[in-house]
Amino acid sequence: MNAVIQTVLIGIAVGALYGLVALGFGLIMGVMKFVNIAHGSFIIVGGYIAYWLFTLLGIDPYLSIPAVMLVMFAMGLILYRLLFSPLLKYPRAEMRLDKSLLITFGVTWILDNTVTLLWTPDTRSVVTSYTGSTIDILGAKLGLTGLAGLILAVLVAVALHVILTRTYFGKHVRAATEDSGAASLSGVNVQGTYLMSCGIAAALAGVAGVVIVSSYSIAPSGGLDWLLTGMVVIVLAGEGNIAFILPAGLVLGLVQSISTLFVSPAYQQPIALIIFILVLMFKPKGLFASRG
Amino acid sequence: MLEINHIDVFYGDLQALWDVSMAIDEGKIVALVGSNGAGKSTLMLSISGLIKPKTGSICFEGIRLDKLPAHRRVEQGISMVPEGRRLFSQMTVLENLEVGASVRTARKARFDTLKWIYGLFPILSERKKQSAGTLSGGEQQMLAIGRVLMSQPRLLLIDEMSLGLSPLLVQEISRVIEDINQSRKLTILVVEQDVQLALSLADRGYIIENGRIVGQGEAGELLCSEQVKEAYLGMGLPGKVK
Repeated sequence: MNAVIQTVLIGIAVGALYGLVALGFGLIMGVMKFVNIAHGSFIIVGGYIAYWLFTLLGIDPYLSIPAVMLVMFAMGLILYRLLFSPLLKYPRAEMRLDKSLLITFGVTWILDNTVTLLWTPDTRSVVTSYTGSTIDILGAKLGLTGLAGLILAVLVAVALHVILTRTYFGKHVRAATEDSGAASLSGVNVQGTYLMSCGIAAALAGVAGVVIVSSYSIAPSGGLDWLLTGMVVIVLAGEGNIAFILPAGLVLGLVQSISTLFVSPAYQQPIALIIFILVLMFKPKGLFASRG
Repeated sequence: MLEINHIDVFYGDLQALWDVSMAIDEGKIVALVGSNGAGKSTLMLSISGLIKPKTGSICFEGIRLDKLPAHRRVEQGISMVPEGRRLFSQMTVLENLEVGASVRTARKARFDTLKWIYGLFPILSERKKQSAGTLSGGEQQMLAIGRVLMSQPRLLLIDEMSLGLSPLLVQEISRVIEDINQSRKLTILVVEQDVQLALSLADRGYIIENGRIVGQGEAGELLCSEQVKEAYLGMGLPGKVK
C-alpha cells in the first residue's frame, strides 16, 4: 500500500512539473499557432540563470524566480520582435506553422550552443541545505523540492487561468486564439497580444527551469527532452485548451509513475509516446474533449 | 464620411476588385448588393482592414485608413460584423461583448453600452453566462451585432445580415438596424443577398459585379430600375433571354 501511495505522490509531483513545462508552449501554440521548438531551450536557459544566481550570488533558487521570470520575459519579447513577428506577414496560420518550426529550431541551436559556451556541457544542479529532505505524507515520502515544484505549478496554472478569464488582456488572448481576424475586427491589437504572450510564455519556461534545476539537473542538450514531454501534454490537453494543461500533465505523470509498479522505469518515455499516438488517433481534440 | 477612391484589391496574383469607388454620407444606410463572388465581402474587408488594397485610397472623415491595421480602424469608429459572424464560440456571451469594447474609449463606457445592448436584445442578457457556441443562429447574429456596437462605432459594416435567419428574425434585426440608425445617428453599410430587403432598408444602393461597381443610386430608384429587377428580383421582361 505504501508503495502505491509513494508512486502516486511521485506521479503527482512529476506530472505537475510536466504541466508547468507545457503551459508556455501551449500558450504560444494556441494564440499564435506557432510550434515553438525552442521552448525546451527557454526552460534550460531559465534553469542556468537560477544556477548562476545561486553559485555566484548565493541566492536561493526559489527566491530567484521573479528575477528569472523577468529576464526570460525580456528574452521572449526580443525573440518575438526579431524572429517571430516577421512571420505574421503570412495571413493564414497554416502558412506560418512550418516556418515557425524551422525558425524556432534554429533558435534552439543558438540557445543550446550559447549555453554550452557559457556553462560547458556538464550537467548542473542547484544543491541547497534542504535538497534531498523529504516530508511524510500518509506514510510515504515526498521530496521538499518536489513539493515546491507541485505548489509552484499549481500557483502558476491558477494565475494564468485568472489572467486569461478575468483580465482584458486574457480575453484578448482567448479571442485571438479562436479567431485572430475577428479579434482585430473587434479592436484587439493582435500583434501586441502576441508580443505579451511570448514574454509570458518565456517567463513560464523560466519558472519550469528553476524547478528542474533545483529538483533534478540540467544540461545544455536537455531542452528537447522537456519539449517532447510538453508536446505530449499539449496533445493530451487538446490544442488551445490552456485550462486543461495542468490536469493533462498530472495524468501523464501519474500514468508514467504507476507504470513503474508493473514494468521497468526505462519504459517511461516510450509509454508517454504511446499515449501521445493513441490520443492523436482516438481523441485528437484531447482527453477532455466531450466529442472526439 | 467614408470615401473609397479607385481601389484595386488582389488575392495573391488574382485581382478581386477593379477600380472601386464609393462614398457614404453620414447618417445614411447604404446597401451593397451583388451575386456570390462579386466582391462584396472583399470590399467590406478592405474597409475594415483585414485586406489591404494595392492601389487607391480609403478615407474616413478625412483620415487615410488604408495603411492602418484593423484594430486602429475600430479606434477611428469603423466596426464590422464579418460574414459568418465569427463569434468567439468558446467564450461566453458577456465575454464576446467585452472583447467588442477593446478600444480605449469604448472600454471606459462599456457598462453603459452593455445596458443599451441588453435593451436592444434582451435575450443576450438572459444568456450572458452561456458560451457563444451554444446560441441559436438568430441569437448569434444578435450577439455579433451587439459585439460591434460595444466598440461604439460611427460607421457600422454588416456582411450578410440575414444569412441563415428565419423571416421573423430578419424582420427583428432589420427593425433594430433602422432603430440604431435613427436613434444613434449611426451610419451603416450593409451587404445583403436579399436585394429587395436591402434596398427597402437602405437610403442608397451600390451594385457590384465581377469586382466592379456597375450601378448606384437612391435605393428606391434602384429597386424600380430594370437593371435590378432583371438581374436580382427575377422580374425580367417576358420574352427577353439573358
